[in-house]
Amino acid sequence: MGAAIQQAWELIRSGDPELLNILSTTARVSLTSSILALLLGLPLGILYGAGRFPGRSVLLVLNRTLMGLPPVVCGLLFYLLFSGVGPFGKLKLLFTVELMILAQVVLITPIVIGTMETWVAQTAPALRETAKGLGFGRGKRFLLLLNECVSPMISAYLLAFARAIAEVGAVAMVGGAIAWKTNVMTTAIMMYTNRGSFTLGIALGIILLGLSLLLNAALSLLQRRLNR
Amino acid sequence: MKRVLALLLALVLVLALCACGTKKEQPAETQPEQPAETQPEQPAQEENKLVKDTCILLEADEAMINNYSLLAVNPEAPFADADGKAVQGVEINAAGAAALINWLLSEEGQGLAADYGVADYGEHLFYLKEDRPVSAAQIPAATDETRRVRLSTTTSVNDSGLLDYLLPVFHDKYGYEIEVYSAGTGKAIANAKMGNADLILVHAKAQEEAFVEEGFAYTLDGMDSARLTYMYNYFVLCGPSADPAGVKQAGDVKAAFAAIAAGKHPFISRGDGSGTHSKELSLWPEELGITKEAESFKDYTDWYISANAGMGACLVMAEEMGAYILTDKATFLTFQTADGAA
Repeated sequence: MGAAIQQAWELIRSGDPELLNILSTTARVSLTSSILALLLGLPLGILYGAGRFPGRSVLLVLNRTLMGLPPVVCGLLFYLLFSGVGPFGKLKLLFTVELMILAQVVLITPIVIGTMETWVAQTAPALRETAKGLGFGRGKRFLLLLNECVSPMISAYLLAFARAIAEVGAVAMVGGAIAWKTNVMTTAIMMYTNRGSFTLGIALGIILLGLSLLLNAALSLLQRRLNR
Repeated sequence: MKRVLALLLALVLVLALCACGTKKEQPAETQPEQPAETQPEQPAQEENKLVKDTCILLEADEAMINNYSLLAVNPEAPFADADGKAVQGVEINAAGAAALINWLLSEEGQGLAADYGVADYGEHLFYLKEDRPVSAAQIPAATDETRRVRLSTTTSVNDSGLLDYLLPVFHDKYGYEIEVYSAGTGKAIANAKMGNADLILVHAKAQEEAFVEEGFAYTLDGMDSARLTYMYNYFVLCGPSADPAGVKQAGDVKAAFAAIAAGKHPFISRGDGSGTHSKELSLWPEELGITKEAESFKDYTDWYISANAGMGACLVMAEEMGAYILTDKATFLTFQTADGAA
């Protein structure tokens, strides 16, 4: 492990161009997909959690199933749909960063919805009582709920981001791990392992974990501030 | 109010990170493809080596020649979707594929391929065939339509570092961007049949001939065949240096395989439909009846290990288990020099 840590440091210090490319692709894919998933999942999660409408329980079961969607299955589906012979082949999106983002959005939106829904469903009834007692109208009640959602939203985002950055099945299938284009940290680690460069793989893993740690620490600090 | 401010702050932070992500990419994108410096420069330290005991036991047998062929994907190929329905108008960059093939078969491209490996390993990793096709065709510079060329190839070519060595030269000279997709030969060919590749570089004769037969490849102008077999190297039979099956004394490779099977010595099979896997299947004594179907070797599981993994992973497994293994020489040499820190 000592050699791996040393090599990880060496890679960062020397600003290895391939590593920088892999890092920026990883950042682009996982940040964009997790933010899109948050934007999509947040309103749906609140709706599922606080709303009362027919078919809600069916939607919830569907969503929980999608939360367990294996990444490779998602990847294979997108591979077939966007292949040259697939229905969307004309778009020429296979093996591009854009399609990797799309596949990840499909993978992680259900996780945001599920996390938010669970939290809102637990909080909404009590909140409704309080709001009624204070004589708030519908609009104010909704704002109160939103205000309470900020902290769990950060948790949901971190979960989504963690899944996005750690995921390998879908991005490998949809992106093809093409050097200088769609190679991300996880697929690069697989590639180096196949080439027998275990230490380099571990070095990349250390960098990946380090980045995750930074983002998590920053957002957790923010969350603590908010909860005070 | 404070919360809203904090929330805004968080959003700005995340967007800024996002912007960093996209901005950093710009210089990298305009940068010409450079060879990835993953090959070890310095001699490996003995204790870190991935492959210590496993060594080449049998090589340079006529039956072990490993031919690599280039095939251009036919834009008029009978593409079919996952349900088997015919699909019209799949876009194939035929001009780009032709340019790359003509360059690989030109004097310059062939010379580079033949020299590859001498500097790093002290021997050739690939040899040119005597009767290889040679191209003297003019290669047009890339245009916006032909710039992106999708090459589907096998892991053994990609992992040997050959393409990292060749393609930047081609890119710098003519401006084409080659996207290399690497998988076992079976998957590399399937990828092309799905309309996701403009040309393939593979090493499994039977599968290549089927690919041509089905109309997926076509003959380029000035060439005699759709299958352009132009370079080769050797498969080698590797195993523990003690050689318990005695393959060194077996004489030829078929006898060696028979000896391994007779003594039930552990053997690692790729088991992934790759070219190496195809070759290995053709070398077992026929009465064993080993094919790519799992059913066919269910009685041999005490010694026949179907790993379903890449060449490198299988080599490491063979080393761990003291097993025999068939590998292409290029991958073996890169692994023998690799110390896990490459």
